[in-house]
Amino acid sequence: MQAAIELQNISRSFKNHFWQKKKQVLRDISLAITKGEVFGFLGPNGAGKTTTIKIITGLIKPDSGNVAIFGQAVTSMAAKKRLGFLPESPYFYEHLTGYEFLKLHALLHDLHDYKVRVDNLLTRVGLSGAQDLYLRKYSRGMLQRIGIAQALVGSPELLILDEPLTGLDPMGRKEIKDIILEEKNKGTTIFFSSHILPDAEAVCDRIGIIIEGEIKEVGQLSELLKKGTKTAEMTLEDWFVRQTEKSTVRK
Amino acid sequence: MHRVIAILENTFKESLRQKILLLLIIFAVLLIIISVFLEPFALGEAPKILRDFGLGATALFGVLTTIIIGSALVHKDIEKKTIYTVLSNPVKRGEVILGKFLGLSALVFLLVCAMLIMHQLVIFIYEGTFDLRMLISLPFTLIEVMVLLGILLLFSSFSSTTMTSIMGVIFFVVGHAMPDLKLFADQTQVPAIKTIAYGFYYILPNLENFNLRIDLAYGLPLYWDQLLFSILYGLIYVILLLYITKIIFEHREFK
Repeated sequence: MQAAIELQNISRSFKNHFWQKKKQVLRDISLAITKGEVFGFLGPNGAGKTTTIKIITGLIKPDSGNVAIFGQAVTSMAAKKRLGFLPESPYFYEHLTGYEFLKLHALLHDLHDYKVRVDNLLTRVGLSGAQDLYLRKYSRGMLQRIGIAQALVGSPELLILDEPLTGLDPMGRKEIKDIILEEKNKGTTIFFSSHILPDAEAVCDRIGIIIEGEIKEVGQLSELLKKGTKTAEMTLEDWFVRQTEKSTVRK
Repeated sequence: MHRVIAILENTFKESLRQKILLLLIIFAVLLIIISVFLEPFALGEAPKILRDFGLGATALFGVLTTIIIGSALVHKDIEKKTIYTVLSNPVKRGEVILGKFLGLSALVFLLVCAMLIMHQLVIFIYEGTFDLRMLISLPFTLIEVMVLLGILLLFSSFSSTTMTSIMGVIFFVVGHAMPDLKLFADQTQVPAIKTIAYGFYYILPNLENFNLRIDLAYGLPLYWDQLLFSILYGLIYVILLLYITKIIFEHREFK
């Protein structure tokens, strides 16, 4: 079966200034995300989650390795048509209204009958009352919801969400999780990064742990929890802390 | 093309709603109105001063709007990461550049048109008749603005907003000093300097090609072959600038 996302031996390094030494951010990572699954990409801050997502969305290129979405090059129009993306801490065009913003993204997806689609999405994310408000007046939670709506506007088969739950209050987190679960039920493949572990536990089929640019574990949540301990009561958070500590001790 | 139009519309709205634009418009309107009060100092040359000042104010307004809004047009999207969501859509990077270019050009075109209409009204109030010959300056002001915007987009695709605005001002000043540079190149006796001066003269945009202010204000004859050359020169220059910007932007990484 063709993978929704396939990363093969991806490495990437950066240097902030030309006189600085390159820092290895990703080290030979490989991952295959199956169609229809919800995959949680977990790791501490600075582990390489956002860099991996930028490579998947074609915003940066890997130094080595291959990446594909549904078997197609990530920068191809065919791959982008099947993709919806919400970046971390999104900042949108502040002089546009919520409606105009979604209309722009609908038109970029060739949706000329955008009106019904945009109206439905605004209702779905609970922003129909704020559709004529400029985005600069939106709260953090509202921006996150309009961001999700923007990612869904092209009815994507693959949804990539970078830290979608960060900075939201419990109600906001629940709303976003509900949307993720609705999309999952529709058969959309979802790849999302997070460091809020209980939220990942609630929605993921499988998780992958990245620490210091290396994939440490990939698997079903229940298997991973069993593997690390003999106590069945261990939570993902306990497991995650243990894995991070192991990695630090080895270094 | 419809994706370019979507970006164009977005750029137009975003630029139009910026507060700085209102300040620029007030500044431009004041400049045109001031020209009426210059009569006592004009020593019988009031009609010429009225035209020269009005056309100058219109061109300056177009250039200032372009430099102030155009410098941040691409870089702000990169800095604030709005470009991430735009580029994750099925849109080519070249289409984003073209849409932004056309969006701001369309806005400046409308504003320059409004300024020229206002200039005509001032002439009408002052002289009781319009002087439609002044409107010949419109396509030339627009092409000058497009060349400058092309330069701004080129620099903003790889450098900061501040650097881009500085380059915009430098290119504007140098672009209008091209006849002096040519004179210098013709007269210098040092071969190396002569080569360098000619090199700059042929590579940098000659914005004086689009300056008809003196010709129009003083009623000098216009030669259509020269005007046609200026338009073609400007369009080719803009196409080359956009093409280079597209290539840089296509290879740019968004770390």
